[in-house]
Amino acid sequence: MASPDRFSEYSPAAYTGTHGSFRAHFRQKANGAALYAAMCLGLLFFCVPLYYMFTTSFKAEPEVFAMPVHWIPRSFLPQNYVDAFLAAPFPRYFWNSLLVAVIVVGSTVLFSALAGYGFAKFDFPGRRLAFLFILSTMMIPFQVLLIPLFVVVHQLGWTNSYAGLIIPGALSAFGVFLMRQACLTLPDELMDAARIDGAREVGIFIRIVLPLLKPAIATLAILTFLGSWNNFLWPLIVVTKDELFTLPVGMTVFQQPMQAPYWTYIMAVSTVATLPVVIVFLLLQRYFIEGVVVSGLKG
Amino acid sequence: MRSWIQREFLYRRRVYGVLFVAPAMLFFLVFSLYPTLNGFYLSLTEYTLLKPPVFVGFENYTKLAGNDQFQNGVKVTLWFLLGTTVPKWILSLALAMLFLAPFRGREFFKTLYFTPTLLSAVVVSLVWKLLLDPNGVISALAKPITRDPDTLWLSDRILTPISLIFVDDWAGIPFFMIIWIAGLVGIPRVFYEAALIDGTTRWQAFLHVTLPLLRPTILFVVVISTINSFQSFALQYVMTRGGPSDLTTTIALLVYNYGFNYFRMGQAAAMSVFMFFVIILITLIYIRSVRAEETSYT
Repeated sequence: MASPDRFSEYSPAAYTGTHGSFRAHFRQKANGAALYAAMCLGLLFFCVPLYYMFTTSFKAEPEVFAMPVHWIPRSFLPQNYVDAFLAAPFPRYFWNSLLVAVIVVGSTVLFSALAGYGFAKFDFPGRRLAFLFILSTMMIPFQVLLIPLFVVVHQLGWTNSYAGLIIPGALSAFGVFLMRQACLTLPDELMDAARIDGAREVGIFIRIVLPLLKPAIATLAILTFLGSWNNFLWPLIVVTKDELFTLPVGMTVFQQPMQAPYWTYIMAVSTVATLPVVIVFLLLQRYFIEGVVVSGLKG
Repeated sequence: MRSWIQREFLYRRRVYGVLFVAPAMLFFLVFSLYPTLNGFYLSLTEYTLLKPPVFVGFENYTKLAGNDQFQNGVKVTLWFLLGTTVPKWILSLALAMLFLAPFRGREFFKTLYFTPTLLSAVVVSLVWKLLLDPNGVISALAKPITRDPDTLWLSDRILTPISLIFVDDWAGIPFFMIIWIAGLVGIPRVFYEAALIDGTTRWQAFLHVTLPLLRPTILFVVVISTINSFQSFALQYVMTRGGPSDLTTTIALLVYNYGFNYFRMGQAAAMSVFMFFVIILITLIYIRSVRAEETSYT
């Protein structure tokens, strides 16, 4: 298996990069085989449920609970995907989820960048206090806001509407924070030079600031998209009309506890619901993981 | 004397700063500050959405104290909290440590381990509901141990809470693993070189170098996992609806039930205010304990 050399303290690999300080220094004897055995076990543990979701989506319904377990489907029915999407208004749910997510991402990015830029590069009375206020809203758990936020939306007459689905999530304190941090790194001279050249403030924001914020925007956009796409509790309470359901809500309604679940259909829809996230992950893996870490370490 | 250009810039810094920040401020006033304050007020009222709220003082809170459902909810939530925090911290940290040394295929494994993070809570719940079906995969795999052809993973009185904890840990470990890795990579290797020269064992180095230097990450992981566990909703809602006989009805689920099934907004608001203070309290205790240790080290 693995050559012991790769793990020894003296191998060049152990000293390249910043990774692995602890293990590189404290690994006494190389036991590659044990490591790989553990890794493969972990792989099974974390990935088999996903594999099972994917394969079940192609099975015939009687095969789902066949014993012994059919790890490789005997039947191959891509037709399940078509049937599932006809069994309930899933295309509509999918569209709703997408529409809400796209608007929420656009709005969050735009207004977060505006506010972040304002907080980082401008000076006005009450700036610190205002920023502190926005930061402090991050500490309020959503469960606590659930009832009163619903009441606000109810008072505004936005229940059962796209406005109700979209607007309360159209900006995030974390986004403002992230954008402010990114704007702090921009040199003032850049904006001043543009001002001397006669640029307007809005023009500076659009043509100079936004392009320079691209990496931070990518991170924020991915995180916001994930949050919106996977959001369950808020759409569950704010809409009761079938045609406004988002995908997660539609899926749980389809899978009512009392009615016999069509597991192959549910797994087909689950796969489709996961697809956009997988695509984003594969295309923007670097920003994706960075986003998780950034939201982690600074949230 | 200031030139006109400086004066112009100063003016712009004031006016445009306010303009740029205004939409965000308005948003947070309407959708964060007002609801938070209103939540406290609503918890002192009786409100069914149909008629305007009626002020009832602390009645909702005194009712909570004698409410069996609520007391049961607190108990269920605390057990769930225990099961979905401590094991998550330890296992995700252990995995992160495994990923620190370079080995062939490390990125491959790390990426695939990360995949549960891509699933939404609803999809996680649905997939595991299928896997944990009495006739499902887990029953089949566990048959040599349980000797039971169809174990009731999601309707047995003892097994159900454990099953939910297990699923939550499964879904959460990869996320925290990535966070730990980011924290561990940030520790300068000089410290380990020094420890090695001093002749420390691996375990000593972990206790006296890694853990103290990892403190900001520890704080984050602990606080976020606690808040996440408190807020867990989809799992209970989709997999068990709180059953069997309320054994998985957490406070989060109770708030939902009271608010949107019984339309007793006042009671529901009182429960969320209670939850708010518990979360704040736990966060403060964590922050303080981490701070206290920090001062003792320096």
